[in-house]
Amino acid sequence: MTSSPVLTQHPTTLRTTLPNGITVIAIENPVADIVSSRIFIGAGQLCETEQTAGLFDLLTAVIVKGTASRTAMDIAEAVESIGANFGADVASDYSLLSLKTVSADFETVLAIAVEVLREPSFPDHEIELERRLILQGLKSMKEQPFGMAYNYFREALYAGHPYGLSQAQTEQCVAKLTKADLQQAHRQYFRPDNIVITIVGRISPSLAVKLVDQYLGDWSVPDEPLPQVSFSPIRVAAQRIVTPQETNQAFIVLGHLADEVTGPHYAALKLMSTYLGNGLSSRLFVELREKQGLAYDVSAFYPTRRGPSQFVAYIGTAPQNLSVALAGLQAEVARLKDMPLTEEALQVSKNKILGQYALGKQTNGQIAQTYGWYEVLGLGMAFDEDFQRAIAAVTLEDVQAAAQHCFVEQTVSILGPAEAIAALTPS
Amino acid sequence: MGLFLNHSESFTRLLDSGTKISTESATNENATSVIQLPNGLTIIHQEMPTAAVVVDVWVRAGASREPAEWSGMAHFLEHMVFKGTQRLKPGEFDWAIESQGGVTNAATSHDYAHFYITVAANVLPQTLPYLADLLLGAAIPADEFGRERQVVLEEILQAHDDPDWVGYQALCEMLYGEHSYGRAVLGTAEILAARSPEEMRQFHRAHYQPKNMTVAIAGGISQSVAVELIQQSFSDFAEPIGCPQPKPQPLNILPEQQVHQHRTLHLPNLEHSRLTMAWLGPGIDQLDIVSGLDLISVLLGGGDTSRLVRELREEKQLVQDVDASFSIQQECSLLSVSMWLEGPDLEEVEEIVCDRLHLLANQPIEESELARCKRLLLNDYAFSTETPSQIAGLYGYYATIAQPELAVAYPGHIQAHSPHSLQQLIRQYLSPERYTAVVLQPE
Repeated sequence: MTSSPVLTQHPTTLRTTLPNGITVIAIENPVADIVSSRIFIGAGQLCETEQTAGLFDLLTAVIVKGTASRTAMDIAEAVESIGANFGADVASDYSLLSLKTVSADFETVLAIAVEVLREPSFPDHEIELERRLILQGLKSMKEQPFGMAYNYFREALYAGHPYGLSQAQTEQCVAKLTKADLQQAHRQYFRPDNIVITIVGRISPSLAVKLVDQYLGDWSVPDEPLPQVSFSPIRVAAQRIVTPQETNQAFIVLGHLADEVTGPHYAALKLMSTYLGNGLSSRLFVELREKQGLAYDVSAFYPTRRGPSQFVAYIGTAPQNLSVALAGLQAEVARLKDMPLTEEALQVSKNKILGQYALGKQTNGQIAQTYGWYEVLGLGMAFDEDFQRAIAAVTLEDVQAAAQHCFVEQTVSILGPAEAIAALTPS
Repeated sequence: MGLFLNHSESFTRLLDSGTKISTESATNENATSVIQLPNGLTIIHQEMPTAAVVVDVWVRAGASREPAEWSGMAHFLEHMVFKGTQRLKPGEFDWAIESQGGVTNAATSHDYAHFYITVAANVLPQTLPYLADLLLGAAIPADEFGRERQVVLEEILQAHDDPDWVGYQALCEMLYGEHSYGRAVLGTAEILAARSPEEMRQFHRAHYQPKNMTVAIAGGISQSVAVELIQQSFSDFAEPIGCPQPKPQPLNILPEQQVHQHRTLHLPNLEHSRLTMAWLGPGIDQLDIVSGLDLISVLLGGGDTSRLVRELREEKQLVQDVDASFSIQQECSLLSVSMWLEGPDLEEVEEIVCDRLHLLANQPIEESELARCKRLLLNDYAFSTETPSQIAGLYGYYATIAQPELAVAYPGHIQAHSPHSLQQLIRQYLSPERYTAVVLQPE
């Protein structure tokens, strides 16, 4: 009964690895006169430590602000004068340069991106400017109650792991990071054998690969080995963090450590987060919002991560509903352990996840993001199909086993007016 | 920034939590057709090479149709539409769409409410009649009305925790006064508590009529199949009835009607001060002027090379960020410049912005700078027509507040501007003396 919108398969896809180790994926999509490209670097927040929290935020902010031959303004003028998009960003598991241009301008912007990738100059005044902006941005996050409740949750859940580096630690480190720190991280991680490039749009795959080879083929791999990340296991005791803040709405964020993308329960957990939190017919939406009117925003998520992931449910509710909402949210998560889903609920969740997965690969940018991400996580672009097969194969038993395995020690973060949270504060 | 990306404030039924399709896109080369049915319903169709179909139904039943004492009705109704009909139980529609791998959502602003689904083309014949039934035959059951009101009240609480929303509402009150654009789309808890299901049924029956409705459909479906499906599904409209109307309130959008207004709000949990400076312009019917104001907003705050970002953020480092935004509604447009900064710098920054406007009024910009602004807007436009949902949204929006043909006229209007025409517009519309400013400061 699956009838997901299966989008046209891309007829011309080329995947190759250059002699220096750069992985290139080129997909021709002639529908629109546009090319999107992503350059993934296999290093992100996962590579940060208590001494370097925020390192990749600063690095990706400054990297586009100057190269051996261009100033920040030169770069911005070259890109903006042709109406292209170009930027750098960092995520949990990777760093990223993104480009989008009309087809004729692609090579122009690629040439700039390559300079940024290979020869960033990290000018001192740009470091100071971006450092200040990041510190101000960290302060701004405190204006969002959900963001704060989630941050306290994440810091507690991942204590001691890079995914759990706190906002306070990041503020301290960003204030002290030096140009030498940026240069060192660039030297360690920005190297051909740690790079994946995807190019999607109105450009022939052979030309796309030729361009990458022309601009990056002569980039040699350094002698020293790529640093490997390794962590001690994360402590998993139940905990509750309660934060007083005078807000109109209170927030509850609760959840558990959960499988990394290669873990045995990954597909079943994806299904569960869809069942609980995805869309207007999801379990949390129907039970807590539609039937009880407890919230406008109530959902669940389970991100795909290279390292240990998190299974999270959350709700924003009026302070006087806090206890009812907490009990409801906990009961819905526990129910997955105690009671198998129905066959119908399982099938509907599969249809949802597969249908939306197809819809998430419509634009050139979305396609470039999806395949490049899988490559940089070490899964290969075949994961696109492996994932869909794994979802289709999940059984009722798989779901319950995953819930029983993962939903043991729960971390809960509650934020709201002092009066409302008093009763929920651990003694 | 960008006429096609900002419709002014709107509220969605489901908060996006990361599953929504991102709005990236491209130069679109497919043919669009506009069809008027005998009952007055407008259909807009574009076939695209994909297996998905988007149906986006736009209704001229936004907050602008509310009398002041019914403020919030249009948005609340948008929630209640999903609570079923004589044939559909509450939630049945959501389940029908989502269980087939599709997505659905809805949003309300002043000039419109719209409802959309994305599904595989082969299930559209089964799902479209459901959507039509919801919109035409909304039952608005009394018990669901009471429950869903709680949800809307939660949405209002959440908005009040967002300082940018609070600041924007203050700005709208100052700019638009008693006109409905000055009232929040969400309404207030007090007004919603006093409304009844009967009143909502009346509002629904008065406004959800074919002459107020545009069905935009894009994706893997031919015109003939699309039109036939829509014609069959959207036929059973109830007889229209009367409904309390908003008091006609003129908008003072002429340049000579502008005054200087300045208001400071002190908010809790605020880490940075904000300064927003805003200027009104004409509505969608004057696209020649509106397109010029859009270009001016790019000139001021679009990208790192724009005037204010370069000076205030990069060179003087007086602000954390600058955002110039331009949005358009049926009756007016709004150009605003917002800055995130530290309290002690507020005055200096405001003076600099005024001074730069003064300069721009007296000296035409370089051709090269104009070319950059045009290129940026034209590419934004091209990049926003890549997916069926973008296409359906673009045409549906224009059909609702003006005519669908205007959607394609925009690039031509942008191209027509010169340094001289922009200078004239700056002189006329962007007075450094008469503007509306809102300052947010920590308590």
